Amino acid sequence: MKLKLSDILITIVIALVFGIIYKLWGPVYSLFKPFGLHIGDVIYGMWFIAGTVAMLLLRKPGVALLAETAAASGEFLVGSEYGLSVLLYGVVQGLGTELMFALFGYKRYTAFVASLGGIAAAVGSLVMDAAYGYVMDLALWNLLLLVGARLIGGFLIAGLLAYFLVQALDRTGVTSLVRPASDEDYKALDR
Amino acid sequence: MQWTLNYEETWLHRLNPAFKLIFFLVLFLLLLFIHNPNMITNVTVVPLLLLLFSTGHQKKVLLILILPFLLLFFSSASSMMFFGQGSTTWWKWGLIHITEESFYRGLHIGFRALNFALLGLLFALTTRPVYLFYSLIQQLKVPPRFAYSFMAAVRILPVMVEEFQQLRAALLIRGVKKKKGIGRITQTVTLYAVPLLSQSIRRAHRIAVAMEAKRFNNKERTYYYKPSFSKFDLIFLLYIAIGFGLAFWMSGAFPYFDITDVRQK
Repeated sequence: MKLKLSDILITIVIALVFGIIYKLWGPVYSLFKPFGLHIGDVIYGMWFIAGTVAMLLLRKPGVALLAETAAASGEFLVGSEYGLSVLLYGVVQGLGTELMFALFGYKRYTAFVASLGGIAAAVGSLVMDAAYGYVMDLALWNLLLLVGARLIGGFLIAGLLAYFLVQALDRTGVTSLVRPASDEDYKALDR
Repeated sequence: MQWTLNYEETWLHRLNPAFKLIFFLVLFLLLLFIHNPNMITNVTVVPLLLLLFSTGHQKKVLLILILPFLLLFFSSASSMMFFGQGSTTWWKWGLIHITEESFYRGLHIGFRALNFALLGLLFALTTRPVYLFYSLIQQLKVPPRFAYSFMAAVRILPVMVEEFQQLRAALLIRGVKKKKGIGRITQTVTLYAVPLLSQSIRRAHRIAVAMEAKRFNNKERTYYYKPSFSKFDLIFLLYIAIGFGLAFWMSGAFPYFDITDVRQK
């Protein structure tokens, strides 16, 4: 299933919207992170949401990676305070989400798989943090707090919130524009 | 955001956008391999000078954009400073444990974040997105489908801002009250996110259909903008190379800190 122009365009439009949110999220996160206690990392999950939302909407291979990369580019182009690092973080996080949907053969788009996608993106961001912020050199309890908060954030925001958002979008009927015809659609024709 | 600020074009605007992007990514990776806090402190001066004197933007605008970097510096550095591992204790109070090693490592991370922020801002302030996408297609052979989708999407954003303001006014006039706690999140999703996203999905779909109706495809095409290379690319390369070289030499000759590698042994 190759991506058509409309798939790409819709993915990038959604991604840019999230890109703006990503940019606005930077100062919020800085404020939520007082004195290096990583409780605030629960809201870090917002930075993974573009991948899962786009994938749940369009349901085609490659969409999560494209969306997360595009969202990061959008964030970068409007002048993110994290600068260039967001581009690489975006790619790695997108890969994480993509991998989870690929693991289920791009056939299951449930809240469970979406949550796994969010968590995988969180793992991706932690891998980047290990190279960028020497997080492995934190005291153990602090590192565990960081990992825990990050994963919970990925699960709650990029997983459940994304799923809830797409379900709400489903009810508007707009998803019929973007999704490929499913087996059920073909069966409906036979009836 | 290029499309809203007044500025003068400088030599940094004339760099080849795709070259600039690749070069900045290489710099990014290079910065990840610097573990000497003396060196990273010196290196910070290199993008800072360009940002202050060569972007063609007003000083006032630059100041507003650079100020949040201080917050970023502290928020990046703080966790490592307070909770990092190390053996030479400076201060201990409850969970907070500042050691010499963790302090310098925190400082290093702060400077690293500052460098990425400065480089990122430098790029954003001196690159017109349209030129960047044309350059990506022509120099890096990015499929036009992706690049043009990006340019179209950028054009949709102002429409969305307008829609957002309309929504807010409509909700205000109907007397919709803001909920508290968890209800606030669901309220935001249903009242704002859903209508904004569904409308823009419909719009994006219409644009894609229109583009294909006009025979947009990936085959041979001609371009209105043809970004090329110039002497400025070479000057930029030399500036960075000399700047980094000087920073490296200075960090050996005139060190500020005793530590030369911040990693935990």
